[in-house]
Amino acid sequence: MILRAIFAHIAALFALILSAPTLADPPAGYPFLDHDAGLRLARAENRPILLYFGRYGCAWCDHTNRKTFVDPGLKKLLSEHYALIYADAESGRRIRLASGERVTEAELGTRLGAFATPLFVFMSPAGELIAKIPGYKTVDDFLAYDRYVRGGHHREKSLAEFLAGKP
Amino acid sequence: MARSPFLPAGLAGLLLAALALAMPAAAESVIELAAARAGVFHHLDASGRRALAVAGERVGLVWEDNRDGAPACHFASKTTAETGFREFRFGTGECFEPAIAADGADAFLLIWEDETGVQAARAGANGIGAATRLAPAGGQGAIIRHPEQGVIAVWSAPDGRWRRLWRARLDDAGDGGLIARAAAPVDPQPARDDQAYPTLAVAGPERHLVLVWEDRRPGHTVIFASRSADAAAWSAPARVSRNPTGAQPGGLGRGTGAMRPAIAAFGARLAVVWLDKRDFLSGYDVYAAFSDDGGASFGDDLKVQDSFGDAIAQWHAAVAGNPRGDLRVVWSDDRDGNADLWLNRPAGTAFGDDFTLPEVSGPAHQADPAIALDDAGNLHLAWLERDAGGATRLRYLRRPASGGD
Repeated sequence: MILRAIFAHIAALFALILSAPTLADPPAGYPFLDHDAGLRLARAENRPILLYFGRYGCAWCDHTNRKTFVDPGLKKLLSEHYALIYADAESGRRIRLASGERVTEAELGTRLGAFATPLFVFMSPAGELIAKIPGYKTVDDFLAYDRYVRGGHHREKSLAEFLAGKP
Repeated sequence: MARSPFLPAGLAGLLLAALALAMPAAAESVIELAAARAGVFHHLDASGRRALAVAGERVGLVWEDNRDGAPACHFASKTTAETGFREFRFGTGECFEPAIAADGADAFLLIWEDETGVQAARAGANGIGAATRLAPAGGQGAIIRHPEQGVIAVWSAPDGRWRRLWRARLDDAGDGGLIARAAAPVDPQPARDDQAYPTLAVAGPERHLVLVWEDRRPGHTVIFASRSADAAAWSAPARVSRNPTGAQPGGLGRGTGAMRPAIAAFGARLAVVWLDKRDFLSGYDVYAAFSDDGGASFGDDLKVQDSFGDAIAQWHAAVAGNPRGDLRVVWSDDRDGNADLWLNRPAGTAFGDDFTLPEVSGPAHQADPAIALDDAGNLHLAWLERDAGGATRLRYLRRPASGGD
């Protein structure tokens, strides 16, 4: 009986995995969520948001995943302190913006003015824009962005001003 | 018409006609179908950007908005002579991505996604006919009437891990409605990755059905095409877009992106346009390919936009053609500091200079175009204007063929 119940749970888990929409190319081992689930987590736990706007097959996203997101310290920091959202630049998956508007992930790129992937977008727990950062970034870059976002410096200065001060 | 007291009537008429030919024709007034209201968002998101169609003297437009609190689909139509649109709501529950096609001289075909799945119906001056369900899940539909094969619909729906394209023939019911026959996959081979955003045209002297869509089977998004003579057997999917496939040095990535194809027959030719990310630093560009053999093959990719649009991203590319051979491509970009609609047309073996129109450019944010060309060459455009707070208004314009656009 117990074995049957375990098999049933495993089967249900596989069915869930197979039926759930998959995220296209997020870095391995991170708790990235789709847009709406990420917004809910951010509000529920008052976490800032890091939105990774990637593209299926994107070379510079792959480079960032292999060179930057493999760092265990960065993985711990981002996973513990941020609501991590992954969005696919070409996906028709439907999302709900903070304004309540329903758009696709691809349309989110239009609204963000995305011209290159990856695009990293830091937002407040309520979904308000803090900074948009396009292209490949290093571990040190992300550590500086974290100090800017969680240190509250975005309330006083732009990211460029903050980085110019060599934080 | 008032007659000149100084000229014989016939001569006055001739002079007026000559004057009319010499002066560029102005657009008719812009019609605002839906005014901006805080918290209300309109969308022209049809697969292939087929949100606008012309059937004889009647123009039809479909869109989705949330004016009643949840996304719902709407159809509006008017004749050339009428000054305003008559509007109808359709769909069950939340409704998304409605698309439209002309059906004869005064009617339309609609396809959409709602809470019951993928549905289709006929529509006309007096409203929407009974809906027929094509599938219990899916969306991104396209529909067309073929002169011999009847009404054909295609859509994208989940099939296990991937989305797959499905097609069905629809029979005319005796009451003017439609009845869907059984659905089947377009490609009998199991999907190896997502197939999405299909759109249809009838092309060439043998009137083949030509289907284009975006497909991720190479590990990145590309544009594929397939065609059929009988709406049942479809040719093996063939690549249209030449956006590069393969890893970058260091084994990085799998290829650049191409998405959201649109298709139009013009004269005996066929054009496919899409958004293309092969130049990865400046956002998507508008690319096109032509077919001169009814969709059996496509020529080399052509960049549609001119060099003034190269440094910025283009969005929402759409295309329209007509039997006399006119073709127009439209999209939105913000080269002038805010989003405007930009157009282009073929010039020789390439495309000409980008141009815009006063009604679809300027200080406001104008984007998300849908386009149609009627048989006489008159240009029909629908688009969204977005205010600073994000609220949208839906607008329509008909510009006479002699306007030189």
